[in-house]
Amino acid sequence: MKHIAPLRRASVRTLLATGLVTGLALTAGCAKSEDSSGNDKASAQQEDPGQVVASPSGGSGPSCTIDSYGGSKVDLKSATVGFSQSEKEANPFRIAETASIKAEAQKRGVKLLTANAQSQFSKQISDVQDLIAKGADLLVIAPLNSDGWEPVLRTASAKHIPIVTIDRKINAAACKDYVSFIGSDFVEQGRRAADQMIEATGGKGEVAILLGAAGNNVTTERTKGFEDRIKEKAPGLKIVFRQTGDFAREKGQSVTENLIQSKPGIKGIYAENDEMGLGAVNALKGAGKKPGDVKIVTIDGTRNAVQGIVDGWIDGVIESNPRFGPLAFQTLDTFTQGQEVAQDIVIQDSSYTESNAKADLGKAY
Amino acid sequence: MADVSLARVTVDRDRALRLLQNYGVYGGVMVLLVFNFAFTAHFASAENFRTQAVQVAPVLIVALGMALAIGTEGVDLSVGSVMALSTSLLSLYLGYGPWIATLIAVVGGILVGAANGALIAFVGVQPIVATLALMVGARGLALVLLPQLKDVRNPGMAALGSGDVLGIPYLVLIAAALALLVAFVVKRSTFGRRLLAIGDSRPAARLAGLPVRRVLIVVYVCSGALAAVAGVLATARLTASDPTSLGTLMELSAITAVVVGGTPLSGGRVRIGGTVAGAVLIQLLTTTLIKHDLPPSWTQIAQAVVIVGAVYAARERGKR
Repeated sequence: MKHIAPLRRASVRTLLATGLVTGLALTAGCAKSEDSSGNDKASAQQEDPGQVVASPSGGSGPSCTIDSYGGSKVDLKSATVGFSQSEKEANPFRIAETASIKAEAQKRGVKLLTANAQSQFSKQISDVQDLIAKGADLLVIAPLNSDGWEPVLRTASAKHIPIVTIDRKINAAACKDYVSFIGSDFVEQGRRAADQMIEATGGKGEVAILLGAAGNNVTTERTKGFEDRIKEKAPGLKIVFRQTGDFAREKGQSVTENLIQSKPGIKGIYAENDEMGLGAVNALKGAGKKPGDVKIVTIDGTRNAVQGIVDGWIDGVIESNPRFGPLAFQTLDTFTQGQEVAQDIVIQDSSYTESNAKADLGKAY
Repeated sequence: MADVSLARVTVDRDRALRLLQNYGVYGGVMVLLVFNFAFTAHFASAENFRTQAVQVAPVLIVALGMALAIGTEGVDLSVGSVMALSTSLLSLYLGYGPWIATLIAVVGGILVGAANGALIAFVGVQPIVATLALMVGARGLALVLLPQLKDVRNPGMAALGSGDVLGIPYLVLIAAALALLVAFVVKRSTFGRRLLAIGDSRPAARLAGLPVRRVLIVVYVCSGALAAVAGVLATARLTASDPTSLGTLMELSAITAVVVGGTPLSGGRVRIGGTVAGAVLIQLLTTTLIKHDLPPSWTQIAQAVVIVGAVYAARERGKR
């Protein structure tokens, strides 16, 4: 038995290897997916920044100038900007974020270096160090984590490189380790979602919350804003159900299926992101409900969710704006000219309801 | 005198434990059902049972394959990633129609299963390590093929996900048919006997002249194919291909269902009825906690308690 084994083994291995390679080749070669009419639109809408640019110097919070940060004035036009993206551009938010930074750099004629950490924090640290080594004078960072940035900050501060972080904050001293943080106010997003829910339901009845992933600050802040505003403005609206959908469509669907059976009188569902909201729509469709039977309000502003408003299934979408490009570059421009900028800059999030969903579908990302 | 009574107590205890191991899972399901009938509003409706059955179908199908792998004293950690790969392939080939796309998705699962089986049977890698490698690799491949969620608009797929025959959803029918098929194979076929013999003692099986390698490869191929079918069904239900999140932690749910169902991790024994009941038990447990709006962390704790209980019951068998 033993002496013939190697021969057989080798031939089986070759066979398997050939099989795998052919399989891969076939996969790549003759794939034919469903036609999707949305694709060309998706590329067209990238042109439209769709963002109201708030003035970076505005706001009442603490501010920062180049004198207090250290370093010297630079002309943004002749500078090199490094951009480090945290996650793979595989979801609409990251795609729109990177596209916005690139578009703004091109518009302003600034040389842009980009890197993507593919969700690995160690890679992001070395990415940023590479960007500095390649001669970036200014940095825009979308951090993967809030902690662990000391090695990068030390290198950057030795060279007096201004850093702007977008969408997530880093735990370091503003105006010392980095200049400003630009991001959304998640509590405010929750409050605005509550306003839309109150309007859609008339302020009476029972509503449910599909929570995001546990232990995530986005989840806690979006929940807090929503609950506080409901308590304060619509005491007739009772939150009777809070379960996590892990920010995923499948989980949102299965949780909603259980929800509408155990609480058939539910009037509204607040989903803390679009994907769970779309899962809830699936569940309602499966249960034979009609559009509008249960009011749904979600946060993010992806194209699918805004399309959901047009179709009548979703009643309101609060945007979480990924288009940081204009605001980030304006902040850097103002700062490098020697004027003061705020340490915390809140990006403006728009919203979609029945009245503007059709017209603004192109703005959704 | 004292000796005799002591002996009888041990015998009784042994029998009780064996009963618990064999039928505890059915008892658990009954307890949860009774509890829900008594305390959960709107539980006793056809619509509710339909929902629970549809939700449990993909987990159940994956658990069937897992039960086979565990029966050979192995494990298949790659099942969740195979589901993701299957949904990617499905979406990629849906232009040819749902049948061909499903076929290609299942072939993808079979290839991953063959790779698993080859690593285990020919190279001699431990099953947990071999399938861990494929778990990482297959998810990566799925994301290369389809980097982000894509909607599935094909009416055939939508019908598969939400249609029914005489009120029984297709998903449930398919899961039931596969469960019967696997149960038949394990109980009645030569292949099933060989599988159990290998799980009991691989050296003995080899000395007895059984085709150990071939059986092992077929087992992992079956597991891969079943996971791919589960991936297709989950995609049909969601009407979207989402390789980033589909099937995450599915391997743990499947292992839980198998172990709770009374199949020992030491191999040599496969309980398909128990596996079905195990999957149903976990589903009912999750549902009960969701319907009563208890914090999600409780679900995890409750699952842990059930697993520890099941493993405790199974422990005595190893000591025998």
